[in-house]
Amino acid sequence: MDIEIFPHRILGADTTEKLLNDIESLDSVKRTVLQGPRLPPQDAIDRKYGDRRIIEVNGEKLELKVKTGRIFVELFDESAIDEIEVICNNHITIGFDINTSKSQYIRKQRTVSDGLKYGENTEIPEELIGLSDQRSKFSESVSILKRDTME
Amino acid sequence: MAQFYPGTSQVAQNRRNFSNPDYELEVLREISDEDVVKVLGHRAPGEEYKSVHPPLDEMDEPDDIVRELVTPIDGAKAGDRVRYIQFADSMYFAPAQPYLRARSYVNRYRGIDTGTLSGRQIIEARERDVERISKELLETEYFDPATSGIRGAGVHGHSLRLDENGMMFDMLRRQVFNKETGKVEMVKDQIGKELDEPVVLGEPLAEDVLRAKTTIYRVDGDAYKDDEDAVTVLKQIHVTRSNFGFNPEL
Repeated sequence: MDIEIFPHRILGADTTEKLLNDIESLDSVKRTVLQGPRLPPQDAIDRKYGDRRIIEVNGEKLELKVKTGRIFVELFDESAIDEIEVICNNHITIGFDINTSKSQYIRKQRTVSDGLKYGENTEIPEELIGLSDQRSKFSESVSILKRDTME
Repeated sequence: MAQFYPGTSQVAQNRRNFSNPDYELEVLREISDEDVVKVLGHRAPGEEYKSVHPPLDEMDEPDDIVRELVTPIDGAKAGDRVRYIQFADSMYFAPAQPYLRARSYVNRYRGIDTGTLSGRQIIEARERDVERISKELLETEYFDPATSGIRGAGVHGHSLRLDENGMMFDMLRRQVFNKETGKVEMVKDQIGKELDEPVVLGEPLAEDVLRAKTTIYRVDGDAYKDDEDAVTVLKQIHVTRSNFGFNPEL
């Protein structure tokens, strides 16, 4: 089952990091998706005032590309919801809702966009469906090398 | 005594305070004249005011009783251009909001034109008067650096969730929060042109202060339905107005 954590304000990098570390350490959590507005462009203002940084979740370094507006969590069983509520109470001081009304918050089927992005016939592992950034550009993850024409 | 707004709640009282020209607004911060000029972006600090007509004293005006009755404001006397300042106010307990701004502006200032939209509020006047009014609007209770935005263009954000540090979303990033000083700085002027030096607007107001000063009814703050006096007056206006529209003889 999926749940949605909806903080009453957009979370910064520090809170997101703490929250993700605690949520990911739970055994009944299968996967987690961050959803929210994109971070502003990297320029002089962003370098001085921005909240962009690389966060560390369970020892793995992640580059944040969005501000945390919602967190979708896929669980193996319902029992973890109470634990997640305790974690959120510890880290989110500005209020939050945990929504469970929808049966699924993370997409589980392949879409046409997936087909266009990764190729119609490419096999995508099941746990990666719904985790990709829908608005990412092909050039952000793939570098195209020009064929060497020199002989 | 003039009746500005009905209601017994704190929100209603705040609305009355803003609308009452005799009520002295609390000055919360100090912003220099030069900084106000920079934020507005209509002229460089120290630059002469451009004019659209000669000073009124030098003009040969036709005889008119109204011209004699009304004292012109400074900008009109000097022949300044008409300029503006525009604000966007967050729905999350910003001190002012567009309709209240309109009501209070027309009660407080002469020689202005004000326009109200759902998310933004513009005030137009002669250039030197706009600067005088802007200074007052920025320094007093009208303004909170985090939840009010000075936005000439690109106003989107009044209904979006705030950032964790309390800042309202701004696609042009004019007002930014400086984590080191804990103050809000304006790094661009109101239409988004970068400033050489940031203008410090001061610390954002604390949430409890905002809740006490706000003029916005909210279910999670002061709910409108709980202010029985205000609801009764509104209902009376609605009913009498509808009846009159249906049958003026009633």
